[in-house]
Amino acid sequence: MSSQNVDSAPKPSQVQKSGVRAAFEYTGIPPSWFDKRPKLPSRNWLIFLSVTTSIVAYYVYDRRECRRIRADYSSRVEHLAKEPLGTTDLPRKVTVYGAKWPGDEDHDKSLKFFRKYVKPIFVAAAVDYEMISGRRSGDLANRIADEIKTRRRIDAGIEPPSQSPMPLPNQPTLEQKRKRELEGGIVLVGRHTLKEFMSGLKRGWTESMDRVDREDMLAQELASDGRFDEPEEPVIDPEVVDGEPLPTRSRLLPSQNVVLFPLQMSSSSPSKSTQYTSNIPAHLDTPPSTTPTLPTLLLVPFTNHIGFRQVPNMLWGFFNERHKVRAGSEAAYSLIMSHVRPFAAANTIVTASEIQESQLDGRQGGDFDFDLPAESYYDGAYTPSETEKARKTYYDALPAKLATARALARGTRAPTKEEDSHPPPTEVELRAERLKKEMRWRGDEAGWEIVKPGQPVQWDERFVDTLQVFDEPRADDVG
Amino acid sequence: MSFLGRGGPSPAGGVNHERIEMAINEIDMVSDVFNRIVSSCHSKCISPRYAEGDLNKGESVCIDRCVAKFFEVNKKVGEKMQSAGASA
Repeated sequence: MSSQNVDSAPKPSQVQKSGVRAAFEYTGIPPSWFDKRPKLPSRNWLIFLSVTTSIVAYYVYDRRECRRIRADYSSRVEHLAKEPLGTTDLPRKVTVYGAKWPGDEDHDKSLKFFRKYVKPIFVAAAVDYEMISGRRSGDLANRIADEIKTRRRIDAGIEPPSQSPMPLPNQPTLEQKRKRELEGGIVLVGRHTLKEFMSGLKRGWTESMDRVDREDMLAQELASDGRFDEPEEPVIDPEVVDGEPLPTRSRLLPSQNVVLFPLQMSSSSPSKSTQYTSNIPAHLDTPPSTTPTLPTLLLVPFTNHIGFRQVPNMLWGFFNERHKVRAGSEAAYSLIMSHVRPFAAANTIVTASEIQESQLDGRQGGDFDFDLPAESYYDGAYTPSETEKARKTYYDALPAKLATARALARGTRAPTKEEDSHPPPTEVELRAERLKKEMRWRGDEAGWEIVKPGQPVQWDERFVDTLQVFDEPRADDVG
Repeated sequence: MSFLGRGGPSPAGGVNHERIEMAINEIDMVSDVFNRIVSSCHSKCISPRYAEGDLNKGESVCIDRCVAKFFEVNKKVGEKMQSAGASA
């Protein structure tokens, strides 16, 4: 060993290698490896490795940050879940509303955001939640309006409160149920949900509380539309309706107006006024001057990126989920800590120039501007012209289908072989299909009217003191 | 649960036995479902370390959701099996 050292003293590099060499000489490693110098990989390899490593490292960093943030917020609220709960007590329950993002086929995106970013903190704090999604644009507004009208009817005594089929001994009374709702809270995911919610709220408290079946009303309206008219000479054709809630159609001659309705409604002129004969006495039906306090709202910012032009945004979101985690967790934390402030409604006194401004960019001031930038991402979303085109193609194709159906039904011609194997839709089916399509188109149009950018959030003076919002928890909050 | 509708006054005779049999089967099914729920949700929701006698809020919420999900799944599976049995 020492002789080797003396020999190779003038070459210090070889001294180190000889140590390694001495240790590994006979282990089977190829001897040429001991003489090689370590060197960097080539320029191209370096580029490739650095790019790949930086991308992967950023991804890993982002996901670790997400986990850390979630764990941090969970640990802050965990102590609430460990409190004991009596056997007859119920935990706190919040209602989560998520409307359909305009233009997105998947109506669940808002609630997916909630489930991924807000729910874990709720679960950690033992807050129960109920998720309600709007399947189509405007669905949520309709649902909320209907709920409010039911509540008004129950309050007015017209309708008995809902009875459960199996009355249990300690069933909560109506007041207790409402008190529990108030203590719970409402979560609105996204600005579109806020708009639909406020629109439904305003409609529910302003319109008549009569129970309205939208399908029936639309059916009445469509029947008087003349689309299913006979193209040739007036032949009164009283067709029998087999169980479908649709009126039959006949030629609308001034003298003969045989229109059969399944409901007990007076027919004749297709005026909508006949359908609003409400069964509620007028003095009860006026909109009340004060609305009850609503459960506190939690506004959760949410932006959905859809479409080819927003793919860069989607990529950015993929690598930066920690921001969404932080936003969701903070929102959940503020709800759990229950620090409320009144809803900051816009000023009622505005100058003329401010009105002009607000009409231009939809700003209303205060809480109405919640998450306003999200609306700029409605690119490529629903436009009314889509429905127009769909309508046009449908109504252009309709007379042909109608003629076939009628000819086959009356037996004026025998069915061809293809029609035997695949029977074309009968007239009743065509009517049902038209009703469905019209409902969908009108629903979409109405929903877009509520949600489109520039449309202000609906407001009513009665709501001034009834709405509160969950705010950032103060620094001296425990936890 | 339909077992609440039973238990009315029964005529004496052979029909009585059938009804009793059906009632016994229904009680068996219901108690079987109940036992499954208890064991499944207990293992999932309640931690093995007992700090106090009462359930705490986290466990309560977990049990609520566990039972609700169990019933929903039970119902769906029952429907599927009914339709499979009806079609087959």
